[in-house]
Amino acid sequence: MITLALPLFCLAQQNKITVRPPDAITVKRGATVTETLQVVVQPGFHVNSDKPKDEFIIPLKLTWTPGLLETKNIEFPKPEEVKVGTQSLLVFTGLFMVKTQFQAPANAPAGPATLIGKIHYQACSSDMCYRPSTIEVKLPVVIE
Amino acid sequence: MAMKKLFCCFAVLSAFLLGSCANQAKSTQVHASSNRKPAPEFTLTDSSGAQVKLSDYKGKVVLLNFWATWCGPCALEIPWFMEFEQQYKSKGFEVLGVSMDDDGWKAVKPYIAEHKLNYRVLLGNDSVSQLYGGLDALPTTYIIDRDGKVAFPAHVGLINKSEYVQEVESLLSDKRAHDYFGAPSILLGSAK
Repeated sequence: MITLALPLFCLAQQNKITVRPPDAITVKRGATVTETLQVVVQPGFHVNSDKPKDEFIIPLKLTWTPGLLETKNIEFPKPEEVKVGTQSLLVFTGLFMVKTQFQAPANAPAGPATLIGKIHYQACSSDMCYRPSTIEVKLPVVIE
Repeated sequence: MAMKKLFCCFAVLSAFLLGSCANQAKSTQVHASSNRKPAPEFTLTDSSGAQVKLSDYKGKVVLLNFWATWCGPCALEIPWFMEFEQQYKSKGFEVLGVSMDDDGWKAVKPYIAEHKLNYRVLLGNDSVSQLYGGLDALPTTYIIDRDGKVAFPAHVGLINKSEYVQEVESLLSDKRAHDYFGAPSILLGSAK
């Protein structure tokens, strides 16, 4: 068993992306604010874009815990097109930005809080793919 | 004249040594029969709902491929495996695909239909994944001999088609293949 497991241990799942800790955002009750997340994909890997061409491909998804702020819109950058064999894929590599527009409810409680975001992604290199994974983002928020 | 003979002897000896080294390098790739470990046993369900045990395939050379519908490099290998299934099936060879899709048959069945897979596909789970080292990276493929033992180091990621051909053919041409498929059953004991 160890013989089978050992070669694969070196490839144990690690996050293939990281998100730079976002600065705190300040928003007035009833107003909107845009936050830009900086996502970094490890060199040699790509993650599928939010709108892959193939129905079987797992898209990148960003979700924010509802309640504190209302998510009005999430904007992903234009993806790159790469070829894996004969398959053409729309992916993100390196550093890319994801913008989220939030609106603070008129009755939101004033003061500091933390908004939790989750990025669900599926990463590949040119010759292998990693199982889908989710990373958490903590966004400090001040509601005035 | 003596020098010429000495030179010839040296040349022959050098060629022999070089040949030995080359063979040794090649043989490090394949696990010696006596050192092979049994492929971990599992029971999984195929697309028709049938329960399939890996041990059901004892006596055959098996290409055990862990894959997923969302895996691009896996998709490149699938046509090769379909070709192998067709080409080697009569010689006692089977491809077994184990899908690691979290969405289960909902994702896998349409893929099988769309790509017209001609070999058996099973639905994997976390238990099987743990048995085979976690399977974080796909494709991961094992070539299993007729005794149900892993004959080569696991292939993690896309490799050349020719490597698979070489490995599968080397196991199919193993003398024991004839014992399993052609000899009276009394000889099977000695084959193992």
